[in-house]
Amino acid sequence: MRAQSSEALVLRGVDFGESDRILHLLLPDVGRLTAIAKGARRSRKRFSGTLDLFQHLRVLVDRRRRGAMARLDGATLLRNFDEIRIDPSRFALGCFLLELLDRLAPEGGARADTQRLFRFALDSLALVSERPVDGALRVLLELRALDALGLRPEFSRCVRCAGDALVRGGAVSFHVADGGVVCGPCAREGEGLLAVHPGTLRALEQGLRFELHQLHRLALGPELLAEARLLLGRFERFHVGVELRSRRFLEERLPAVRV
Amino acid sequence: MRTAPPIDRLVAALKRLPGIGDKSATRLAFFLLGAPDAVGQELGEAIARLKRDIVLCAECFDLTDASPCAVCRDPKRDPSLLCVVEEPADLAAIDATGKFRGHFFVLGGALSPIDGVGPEELRIRELEERVRHGIVKEVILATNPNAEGDATAHYVSERLRPQDVTLTRIAYGMPLGGDLEYADHVTIGLSLDHRRAID
Repeated sequence: MRAQSSEALVLRGVDFGESDRILHLLLPDVGRLTAIAKGARRSRKRFSGTLDLFQHLRVLVDRRRRGAMARLDGATLLRNFDEIRIDPSRFALGCFLLELLDRLAPEGGARADTQRLFRFALDSLALVSERPVDGALRVLLELRALDALGLRPEFSRCVRCAGDALVRGGAVSFHVADGGVVCGPCAREGEGLLAVHPGTLRALEQGLRFELHQLHRLALGPELLAEARLLLGRFERFHVGVELRSRRFLEERLPAVRV
Repeated sequence: MRTAPPIDRLVAALKRLPGIGDKSATRLAFFLLGAPDAVGQELGEAIARLKRDIVLCAECFDLTDASPCAVCRDPKRDPSLLCVVEEPADLAAIDATGKFRGHFFVLGGALSPIDGVGPEELRIRELEERVRHGIVKEVILATNPNAEGDATAHYVSERLRPQDVTLTRIAYGMPLGGDLEYADHVTIGLSLDHRRAID
Protein backbone atom coordinates (compact mmCIF):
# COMPACT_ATOMS: atom_id res chain seq x y z
CA MET A 1 0.00 0.00 0.00
CA ARG A 2 1.38 3.41 -0.93
CA ALA A 3 1.08 6.62 1.04
CA GLN A 4 -2.43 8.06 0.81
CA SER A 5 -3.30 11.51 -0.41
CA SER A 6 -5.88 13.47 1.56
CA GLU A 7 -6.96 16.92 2.56
CA ALA A 8 -6.00 17.84 6.14
CA LEU A 9 -6.24 20.66 8.64
CA VAL A 10 -3.38 21.33 11.07
CA LEU A 11 -4.79 21.36 14.62
CA ARG A 12 -1.50 21.43 16.47
CA GLY A 13 2.22 21.12 15.86
CA VAL A 14 4.95 20.16 18.30
CA ASP A 15 8.68 20.17 17.57
CA PHE A 16 10.25 16.78 18.14
CA GLY A 17 13.95 15.99 18.42
CA GLU A 18 16.44 17.94 16.33
CA SER A 19 14.49 18.43 13.14
CA ASP A 20 11.15 16.59 13.21
CA ARG A 21 7.68 17.92 13.89
CA ILE A 22 4.67 16.02 15.21
CA LEU A 23 1.36 17.17 13.75
CA HIS A 24 -2.16 16.70 15.00
CA LEU A 25 -4.24 16.67 11.83
CA LEU A 26 -7.92 16.48 11.03
CA LEU A 27 -8.65 14.44 7.90
CA PRO A 28 -12.06 14.19 6.21
CA ASP A 29 -12.11 10.39 5.99
CA VAL A 30 -10.13 9.54 9.11
CA GLY A 31 -10.89 12.12 11.79
CA ARG A 32 -8.01 13.09 14.03
CA LEU A 33 -4.61 11.70 13.11
CA THR A 34 -1.19 12.17 14.68
CA ALA A 35 1.65 12.10 12.16
CA ILE A 36 5.37 12.74 12.26
CA ALA A 37 7.00 14.94 9.64
CA LYS A 38 10.61 13.75 9.53
CA GLY A 39 13.16 16.50 8.97
CA ALA A 40 10.36 19.05 8.65
CA ARG A 41 12.29 21.85 10.32
CA ARG A 42 15.31 21.32 8.05
CA SER A 43 13.67 20.63 4.70
CA ARG A 44 12.96 23.67 2.53
CA LYS A 45 11.29 21.63 -0.17
CA ARG A 46 8.98 18.94 1.18
CA PHE A 47 7.15 21.01 3.79
CA SER A 48 7.88 24.58 2.77
CA GLY A 49 5.60 26.88 4.80
CA THR A 50 2.93 24.25 5.29
CA LEU A 51 3.05 22.78 8.79
CA ASP A 52 1.62 25.71 10.68
CA LEU A 53 -1.58 26.08 12.71
CA PHE A 54 -4.78 26.68 10.71
CA GLN A 55 -3.23 25.42 7.45
CA HIS A 56 -5.57 23.56 5.12
CA LEU A 57 -3.35 21.14 3.24
CA ARG A 58 -3.19 18.36 0.70
CA VAL A 59 -1.03 15.77 2.47
CA LEU A 60 0.60 12.47 1.64
CA VAL A 61 0.33 10.22 4.70
CA ASP A 62 1.87 6.80 5.21
CA ARG A 63 -0.18 4.78 7.73
CA ARG A 64 1.28 1.38 6.87
CA ARG A 65 2.94 0.55 10.16
CA ARG A 66 0.32 -0.86 12.47
CA GLY A 67 0.50 0.61 15.95
CA ALA A 68 3.12 3.17 14.93
CA MET A 69 2.63 6.86 14.34
CA ALA A 70 1.67 7.78 10.79
CA ARG A 71 4.37 9.45 8.70
CA LEU A 72 3.77 12.64 6.77
CA ASP A 73 5.58 12.29 3.44
CA GLY A 74 4.56 15.56 1.81
CA ALA A 75 2.24 18.53 2.08
CA THR A 76 1.06 21.33 -0.15
CA LEU A 77 -0.84 24.35 1.06
CA LEU A 78 -4.45 24.82 -0.06
CA ARG A 79 -5.48 27.67 2.24
CA ASN A 80 -3.95 29.28 5.32
CA PHE A 81 -6.69 31.52 6.79
CA ASP A 82 -4.08 34.27 7.15
CA GLU A 83 -6.58 36.80 8.55
CA ILE A 84 -6.68 34.72 11.75
CA ARG A 85 -3.00 35.11 12.52
CA ILE A 86 -2.93 38.89 12.13
CA ASP A 87 -5.83 39.62 14.48
CA PRO A 88 -5.40 38.63 18.15
CA SER A 89 -9.16 38.15 18.74
CA ARG A 90 -9.55 35.96 15.66
CA PHE A 91 -6.42 34.09 16.73
CA ALA A 92 -7.88 33.50 20.20
CA LEU A 93 -11.14 32.11 18.79
CA GLY A 94 -9.34 30.08 16.11
CA CYS A 95 -6.99 28.50 18.68
CA PHE A 96 -9.95 27.68 20.92
CA LEU A 97 -11.75 25.88 18.08
CA LEU A 98 -8.59 23.99 17.11
CA GLU A 99 -8.01 22.87 20.70
CA LEU A 100 -11.63 21.76 21.08
CA LEU A 101 -11.37 19.70 17.88
CA ASP A 102 -7.97 18.34 18.87
CA ARG A 103 -9.28 17.18 22.26
CA LEU A 104 -12.61 15.75 21.13
CA ALA A 105 -12.35 14.71 17.47
CA PRO A 106 -12.52 10.93 17.14
CA GLU A 107 -9.68 8.91 15.65
CA GLY A 108 -11.65 7.00 13.05
CA GLY A 109 -15.42 6.63 13.02
CA ALA A 110 -18.18 6.78 10.44
CA ARG A 111 -17.01 8.48 7.27
CA ALA A 112 -20.07 10.71 7.00
CA ASP A 113 -19.43 12.02 10.53
CA THR A 114 -15.72 12.70 10.01
CA GLN A 115 -16.43 14.42 6.69
CA ARG A 116 -19.08 16.60 8.33
CA LEU A 117 -16.65 17.49 11.11
CA PHE A 118 -13.92 18.38 8.61
CA ARG A 119 -16.32 20.57 6.64
CA PHE A 120 -17.39 22.32 9.86
CA ALA A 121 -13.73 22.95 10.79
CA LEU A 122 -12.97 24.62 7.46
CA ASP A 123 -16.22 26.58 7.33
CA SER A 124 -15.85 27.87 10.89
CA LEU A 125 -12.25 29.00 10.29
CA ALA A 126 -13.39 30.72 7.10
CA LEU A 127 -16.08 32.49 9.11
CA VAL A 128 -13.59 33.54 11.80
CA SER A 129 -11.19 34.87 9.19
CA GLU A 130 -13.80 36.74 7.16
CA ARG A 131 -16.32 38.20 9.62
CA PRO A 132 -15.88 40.45 12.66
CA VAL A 133 -15.64 38.25 15.75
CA ASP A 134 -17.39 38.98 19.05
CA GLY A 135 -18.68 37.23 22.16
CA ALA A 136 -21.84 36.09 20.40
CA LEU A 137 -20.02 34.43 17.49
CA ARG A 138 -17.70 32.80 20.00
CA VAL A 139 -20.61 31.20 21.91
CA LEU A 140 -22.42 30.10 18.75
CA LEU A 141 -19.31 28.56 17.18
CA GLU A 142 -18.56 26.76 20.45
CA LEU A 143 -22.07 25.28 20.28
CA ARG A 144 -21.73 24.34 16.61
CA ALA A 145 -18.34 22.73 17.27
CA LEU A 146 -19.89 20.53 19.97
CA ASP A 147 -22.67 19.62 17.55
CA ALA A 148 -20.18 18.74 14.78
CA LEU A 149 -18.28 16.58 17.28
CA GLY A 150 -21.45 14.57 17.93
CA LEU A 151 -22.11 16.22 21.29
CA ARG A 152 -25.25 18.17 20.45
CA PRO A 153 -27.01 19.27 23.66
CA GLU A 154 -30.80 18.87 23.80
CA PHE A 155 -32.45 22.25 24.26
CA SER A 156 -36.18 21.68 23.74
CA ARG A 157 -37.25 18.16 24.84
CA CYS A 158 -36.83 17.11 28.46
CA VAL A 159 -34.10 14.46 28.61
CA ARG A 160 -36.10 12.62 31.31
CA CYS A 161 -39.71 12.53 30.03
CA ALA A 162 -39.15 13.58 26.37
CA GLY A 163 -41.89 16.19 26.75
CA ASP A 164 -41.51 19.66 25.27
CA ALA A 165 -39.81 21.44 28.16
CA LEU A 166 -40.24 24.91 26.70
CA VAL A 167 -43.96 24.65 25.94
CA ARG A 168 -44.87 23.57 29.47
CA GLY A 169 -43.70 26.90 30.84
CA GLY A 170 -42.33 27.45 34.32
CA ALA A 171 -38.79 26.76 35.49
CA VAL A 172 -36.40 24.94 33.17
CA SER A 173 -33.03 23.50 34.06
CA PHE A 174 -30.07 21.98 32.24
CA HIS A 175 -28.34 18.78 33.34
CA VAL A 176 -24.77 18.65 32.10
CA ALA A 177 -24.20 14.89 32.44
CA ASP A 178 -27.54 14.02 30.85
CA GLY A 179 -26.75 16.46 28.06
CA GLY A 180 -29.93 18.47 27.97
CA VAL A 181 -32.84 20.32 29.39
CA VAL A 182 -34.95 19.01 32.29
CA CYS A 183 -38.53 20.21 32.69
CA GLY A 184 -39.90 21.46 36.01
CA PRO A 185 -41.80 18.30 37.03
CA CYS A 186 -38.79 16.04 36.26
CA ALA A 187 -36.26 18.19 38.13
CA ARG A 188 -35.10 16.86 41.49
CA GLU A 189 -33.41 18.97 44.11
CA GLY A 190 -29.70 18.62 44.83
CA GLU A 191 -28.64 17.00 41.56
CA GLY A 192 -26.57 19.92 40.24
CA LEU A 193 -29.10 21.29 37.78
CA LEU A 194 -28.33 24.60 36.12
CA ALA A 195 -31.30 26.97 36.04
CA VAL A 196 -31.69 28.42 32.53
CA HIS A 197 -34.02 30.97 31.02
CA PRO A 198 -36.20 29.43 28.26
CA GLY A 199 -35.17 32.33 26.00
CA THR A 200 -31.54 31.22 26.19
CA LEU A 201 -32.46 27.68 25.18
CA ARG A 202 -34.57 28.92 22.26
CA ALA A 203 -31.72 31.13 21.06
CA LEU A 204 -29.24 28.23 21.27
CA GLU A 205 -31.69 25.98 19.43
CA GLN A 206 -31.83 28.59 16.69
CA GLY A 207 -28.05 28.75 16.71
CA LEU A 208 -28.03 25.07 15.79
CA ARG A 209 -30.45 25.55 12.90
CA PHE A 210 -28.89 28.57 11.18
CA GLU A 211 -26.31 28.16 8.43
CA LEU A 212 -22.85 29.09 9.72
CA HIS A 213 -22.61 32.18 7.52
CA GLN A 214 -25.95 33.40 8.90
CA LEU A 215 -25.04 33.13 12.60
CA HIS A 216 -24.33 36.86 12.85
CA ARG A 217 -28.05 37.51 12.26
CA LEU A 218 -28.92 36.03 15.65
CA ALA A 219 -29.25 38.85 18.17
CA LEU A 220 -28.09 37.69 21.61
CA GLY A 221 -28.33 40.04 24.58
CA PRO A 222 -25.66 40.22 27.29
CA GLU A 223 -27.61 38.24 29.93
CA LEU A 224 -28.48 35.53 27.45
CA LEU A 225 -24.86 35.34 26.31
CA ALA A 226 -23.58 35.07 29.87
CA GLU A 227 -26.01 32.23 30.59
CA ALA A 228 -25.21 30.43 27.32
CA ARG A 229 -21.48 30.73 28.00
CA LEU A 230 -21.87 29.23 31.48
CA LEU A 231 -24.00 26.37 30.19
CA LEU A 232 -21.73 25.52 27.26
CA GLY A 233 -18.59 25.94 29.36
CA ARG A 234 -19.80 23.36 31.88
CA PHE A 235 -21.07 21.01 29.18
CA GLU A 236 -17.79 21.17 27.31
CA ARG A 237 -15.68 20.75 30.44
CA PHE A 238 -17.70 17.65 31.32
CA HIS A 239 -16.82 16.09 27.97
CA VAL A 240 -13.20 17.28 27.68
CA GLY A 241 -12.40 16.46 31.30
CA VAL A 242 -10.16 19.49 31.79
CA GLU A 243 -10.33 23.21 31.21
CA LEU A 244 -9.19 24.04 27.67
CA ARG A 245 -5.90 25.90 27.86
CA SER A 246 -6.86 28.37 25.15
CA ARG A 247 -9.95 29.48 27.11
CA ARG A 248 -7.98 31.97 29.25
CA PHE A 249 -6.80 34.03 26.26
CA LEU A 250 -10.24 33.70 24.68
CA GLU A 251 -11.85 35.18 27.82
CA GLU A 252 -9.44 38.11 27.60
CA ARG A 253 -10.15 38.80 23.94
CA LEU A 254 -13.78 37.77 23.53
CA PRO A 255 -15.65 37.73 26.81
CA ALA A 256 -19.26 36.67 26.28
CA VAL A 257 -20.23 39.82 28.16
CA ARG A 258 -18.24 42.99 27.63
CA VAL A 259 -17.25 44.51 30.96
CA MET B 1 26.36 -4.51 26.56
CA ARG B 2 27.22 -4.58 30.28
CA THR B 3 29.15 -1.55 31.54
CA ALA B 4 30.15 -0.23 34.96
CA PRO B 5 27.54 1.89 36.78
CA PRO B 6 29.54 5.17 36.51
CA ILE B 7 29.61 4.77 32.71
CA ASP B 8 25.89 3.95 32.67
CA ARG B 9 25.22 7.09 34.70
CA LEU B 10 27.17 9.28 32.27
CA VAL B 11 25.51 7.66 29.22
CA ALA B 12 22.09 8.24 30.78
CA ALA B 13 22.96 11.89 31.47
CA LEU B 14 24.30 12.50 27.96
CA LYS B 15 21.23 10.89 26.39
CA ARG B 16 19.10 13.64 27.88
CA LEU B 17 20.79 16.19 25.59
CA PRO B 18 18.99 17.03 22.32
CA GLY B 19 20.21 15.04 19.34
CA ILE B 20 22.12 12.52 21.45
CA GLY B 21 20.96 8.92 21.21
CA ASP B 22 22.20 5.72 22.82
CA LYS B 23 25.14 5.19 20.47
CA SER B 24 26.37 8.78 20.51
CA ALA B 25 26.11 8.91 24.32
CA THR B 26 28.12 5.68 24.67
CA ARG B 27 30.75 6.90 22.21
CA LEU B 28 31.11 10.22 24.09
CA ALA B 29 31.34 8.44 27.43
CA PHE B 30 34.16 6.17 26.23
CA PHE B 31 35.92 9.15 24.63
CA LEU B 32 35.87 10.98 27.97
CA LEU B 33 37.10 7.85 29.72
CA GLY B 34 40.11 7.67 27.41
CA ALA B 35 40.82 11.42 27.33
CA PRO B 36 43.30 13.19 29.65
CA ASP B 37 41.85 14.09 33.07
CA ALA B 38 41.91 17.81 32.21
CA VAL B 39 39.36 17.33 29.39
CA GLY B 40 36.77 15.82 31.72
CA GLN B 41 37.46 18.35 34.45
CA GLU B 42 37.20 21.29 32.08
CA LEU B 43 33.91 19.99 30.67
CA GLY B 44 32.46 19.31 34.11
CA GLU B 45 33.45 22.74 35.37
CA ALA B 46 32.06 24.48 32.28
CA ILE B 47 28.71 22.73 32.74
CA ALA B 48 28.62 23.50 36.47
CA ARG B 49 29.43 27.18 35.87
CA LEU B 50 26.90 27.55 33.09
CA LYS B 51 23.87 27.83 35.36
CA ARG B 52 25.80 29.61 38.10
CA ASP B 53 27.27 32.39 35.97
CA ILE B 54 24.49 33.07 33.47
CA VAL B 55 21.94 35.72 34.36
CA LEU B 56 19.21 37.57 32.48
CA CYS B 57 20.09 41.06 31.28
CA ALA B 58 17.83 43.44 33.20
CA GLU B 59 17.26 45.55 30.06
CA CYS B 60 16.90 43.17 27.12
CA PHE B 61 16.38 39.84 28.96
CA ASP B 62 19.06 38.08 26.93
CA LEU B 63 21.22 35.47 28.62
CA THR B 64 24.48 37.07 29.73
CA ASP B 65 27.26 36.83 32.30
CA ALA B 66 26.87 40.48 33.34
CA SER B 67 23.79 42.66 33.50
CA PRO B 68 23.35 44.92 31.55
CA CYS B 69 24.76 42.77 28.76
CA ALA B 70 27.50 43.85 26.33
CA VAL B 71 24.93 44.81 23.66
CA CYS B 72 22.93 47.03 26.04
CA ARG B 73 26.17 48.65 27.31
CA ASP B 74 27.58 49.34 23.83
CA PRO B 75 27.51 53.14 23.33
CA LYS B 76 27.88 52.73 19.55
CA ARG B 77 24.47 51.10 19.26
CA ASP B 78 21.39 53.14 18.40
CA PRO B 79 19.01 53.15 21.40
CA SER B 80 16.13 54.53 19.30
CA LEU B 81 15.83 51.19 17.47
CA LEU B 82 14.46 48.24 19.42
CA CYS B 83 14.23 44.78 17.88
CA VAL B 84 11.77 42.46 19.65
CA VAL B 85 12.50 38.72 19.38
CA GLU B 86 10.99 35.58 20.92
CA GLU B 87 14.11 33.87 22.29
CA PRO B 88 17.81 34.58 22.96
CA ALA B 89 18.73 32.35 20.00
CA ASP B 90 16.76 34.68 17.69
CA LEU B 91 18.66 37.66 19.09
CA ALA B 92 21.95 35.89 18.38
CA ALA B 93 20.84 35.10 14.81
CA ILE B 94 19.96 38.73 14.07
CA ASP B 95 23.05 40.11 15.79
CA ALA B 96 25.25 37.71 13.81
CA THR B 97 24.13 39.40 10.57
CA GLY B 98 25.98 42.56 11.62
CA LYS B 99 23.20 44.51 9.86
CA PHE B 100 21.37 45.65 12.95
CA ARG B 101 22.98 48.22 15.23
CA GLY B 102 20.07 48.92 17.54
CA HIS B 103 19.04 47.34 20.83
CA PHE B 104 17.13 44.13 21.50
CA PHE B 105 14.30 42.90 23.68
CA VAL B 106 13.60 39.18 24.33
CA LEU B 107 9.89 38.47 24.89
CA GLY B 108 10.47 34.97 26.25
CA GLY B 109 8.33 33.14 23.67
CA ALA B 110 5.27 33.67 21.51
CA LEU B 111 1.55 33.61 22.20
CA SER B 112 0.39 30.01 22.06
CA PRO B 113 -3.02 29.70 23.73
CA ILE B 114 -3.21 25.98 22.89
CA ASP B 115 -0.07 25.46 24.98
CA GLY B 116 -1.34 27.74 27.74
CA VAL B 117 0.98 30.62 26.82
CA GLY B 118 -0.88 33.91 27.02
CA PRO B 119 0.28 37.53 27.29
CA GLU B 120 0.95 37.12 31.03
CA GLU B 121 3.60 34.49 30.28
CA LEU B 122 5.52 36.91 28.02
CA ARG B 123 7.43 40.08 28.94
CA ILE B 124 4.93 42.41 27.33
CA ARG B 125 4.52 44.65 30.39
CA GLU B 126 8.30 45.01 30.62
CA LEU B 127 8.38 45.93 26.93
CA GLU B 128 5.69 48.58 27.42
CA GLU B 129 7.71 49.96 30.31
CA ARG B 130 10.88 50.07 28.22
CA VAL B 131 9.16 51.90 25.36
CA ARG B 132 7.43 54.31 27.76
CA HIS B 133 10.80 55.89 28.64
CA GLY B 134 10.64 57.66 25.27
CA ILE B 135 14.11 56.81 23.98
CA VAL B 136 12.85 54.13 21.58
CA LYS B 137 11.46 55.57 18.33
CA GLU B 138 10.99 52.37 16.31
CA VAL B 139 10.07 48.89 17.49
CA ILE B 140 10.91 46.15 14.98
CA LEU B 141 8.78 43.07 15.63
CA ALA B 142 11.02 40.15 14.69
CA THR B 143 8.96 37.26 16.02
CA ASN B 144 8.92 34.12 13.88
CA PRO B 145 6.82 34.24 10.69
CA ASN B 146 4.49 31.44 11.82
CA ALA B 147 0.93 31.63 13.22
CA GLU B 148 2.04 32.17 16.82
CA GLY B 149 4.78 34.64 15.88
CA ASP B 150 2.48 36.68 13.63
CA ALA B 151 -0.26 36.76 16.26
CA THR B 152 2.29 37.84 18.89
CA ALA B 153 3.58 40.64 16.65
CA HIS B 154 0.05 41.96 16.14
CA TYR B 155 -0.84 41.62 19.81
CA VAL B 156 2.32 43.49 20.86
CA SER B 157 1.70 46.21 18.28
CA GLU B 158 -1.84 46.60 19.63
CA ARG B 159 -0.44 47.08 23.15
CA LEU B 160 2.26 49.54 22.03
CA ARG B 161 0.06 51.55 19.66
CA PRO B 162 -0.96 54.14 22.31
CA GLN B 163 2.70 55.10 22.67
CA ASP B 164 4.53 57.48 20.36
CA VAL B 165 6.58 54.88 18.51
CA THR B 166 6.84 53.50 14.97
CA LEU B 167 5.97 49.80 14.74
CA THR B 168 7.46 47.67 11.97
CA ARG B 169 7.49 43.96 11.14
CA ILE B 170 10.41 42.08 9.56
CA ALA B 171 9.83 41.37 5.86
CA TYR B 172 8.42 38.15 4.45
CA GLY B 173 9.70 36.52 1.31
CA MET B 174 11.75 33.88 -0.43
CA PRO B 175 14.81 32.61 1.44
CA LEU B 176 18.21 33.01 -0.20
CA GLY B 177 19.06 29.80 -2.05
CA GLY B 178 15.35 28.97 -2.14
CA ASP B 179 13.55 27.41 -5.07
CA LEU B 180 10.33 29.00 -6.38
CA GLU B 181 9.12 25.64 -7.66
CA TYR B 182 9.05 24.23 -4.12
CA ALA B 183 7.91 27.32 -2.24
CA ASP B 184 4.34 27.53 -0.93
CA HIS B 185 2.03 29.98 -2.68
CA VAL B 186 1.63 32.14 0.45
CA THR B 187 5.37 32.84 0.65
CA ILE B 188 5.55 33.54 -3.09
CA GLY B 189 2.52 35.84 -2.78
CA LEU B 190 4.10 37.72 0.12
CA SER B 191 7.38 38.05 -1.82
CA LEU B 192 5.44 39.69 -4.63
CA ASP B 193 3.53 41.94 -2.22
CA HIS B 194 6.81 43.10 -0.69
CA ARG B 195 8.82 43.35 -3.93
CA ARG B 196 11.27 46.21 -4.28
CA ALA B 197 12.83 48.14 -7.12
CA ILE B 198 16.29 47.10 -8.25
CA ASP B 199 18.69 49.99 -7.72
